[in-house]
Amino acid sequence: MAGTVIGAGLNIEGDITSDEEVVVQGNLRGKLTTSDAVSIGPGSVVQADVAGQSVSIAGQVIGDVTAPERVDIQAGGRLVGDVKAARFTIADGASFKGAVDMEV
Amino acid sequence: MSQSSVIGPGTTVHGNVSGEGSLEIFGRVEGSVSMTGQVSLSGSAQVLGDVSGTTISVHGTVQGDLSGTEAVLLERGARVVGDLSAPRIGVANGALLRGTVRTEGETSLGVVKRPTATAFKPHAFVAKPVAKVEPKLAPPAPAPPPPPPPPRTDSNAAVAAAEPNVAVAAAVRAKEPERRPPPPVLPSLGKGVKATKKKGRDE
Repeated sequence: MAGTVIGAGLNIEGDITSDEEVVVQGNLRGKLTTSDAVSIGPGSVVQADVAGQSVSIAGQVIGDVTAPERVDIQAGGRLVGDVKAARFTIADGASFKGAVDMEV
Repeated sequence: MSQSSVIGPGTTVHGNVSGEGSLEIFGRVEGSVSMTGQVSLSGSAQVLGDVSGTTISVHGTVQGDLSGTEAVLLERGARVVGDLSAPRIGVANGALLRGTVRTEGETSLGVVKRPTATAFKPHAFVAKPVAKVEPKLAPPAPAPPPPPPPPRTDSNAAVAAAEPNVAVAAAVRAKEPERRPPPPVLPSLGKGVKATKKKGRDE
């Protein structure tokens, strides 16, 4: 089970700092930083810079996403912002607007 | 749509948390927490800010006010610096608390108070009629003897007749203070002063 779950219906305005997996299904406005995986579920709205070991996006994100490992935008996911990651995938049906830096 | 949320032990939130559903906090929150459901703070939880919800149960540390629409429960190991307000409040043995406690929505107390207030007035109303009906008091309780006096001697009858009167007189004396109007307010002026003032007005 994930360490931290921001459930649907929950609103956080502020910064989240963590060293465990974070699952977002609600709304977040601010900043999200963790040293573990980040999962942004469908239906969630994140207006924040997101940093994690790996980031999976199935909801809506407005902000820059940074991950040493990988960033995945799932089908139905939407990202407006820059991505900085070693690996990066955009699934069919996802939308993305921004720059990509794969640290070549 | 409401769903349970968790702030894990390794997570710190700088900012306000609000929303629907229940929330479990194992980590640290520096900001206010406002939920429409239950809020549960585990032993490792630290909250610097106000917490509100339906039922708030605390095992951890809170520096801020706790207000629950149903209950606030401080369990063993809880450390709270702040005020508590809820219809139901529980503080377990081993919980530390510094602040004021207010149980709001005291419906039971309100229900108890009203009947006593209405019960008092009828008594006052009953007392006055009894005092006014004095003349007719003779027939009531001890009076019945007059019609069937034959068995008794004349002296007994006289005593019986006299006793009600004495009792009535005592009752009248006892009740007089109630009927008396409040004592007149006398001016603190001397005789001469008052007279001269009136004269002065007339002139």
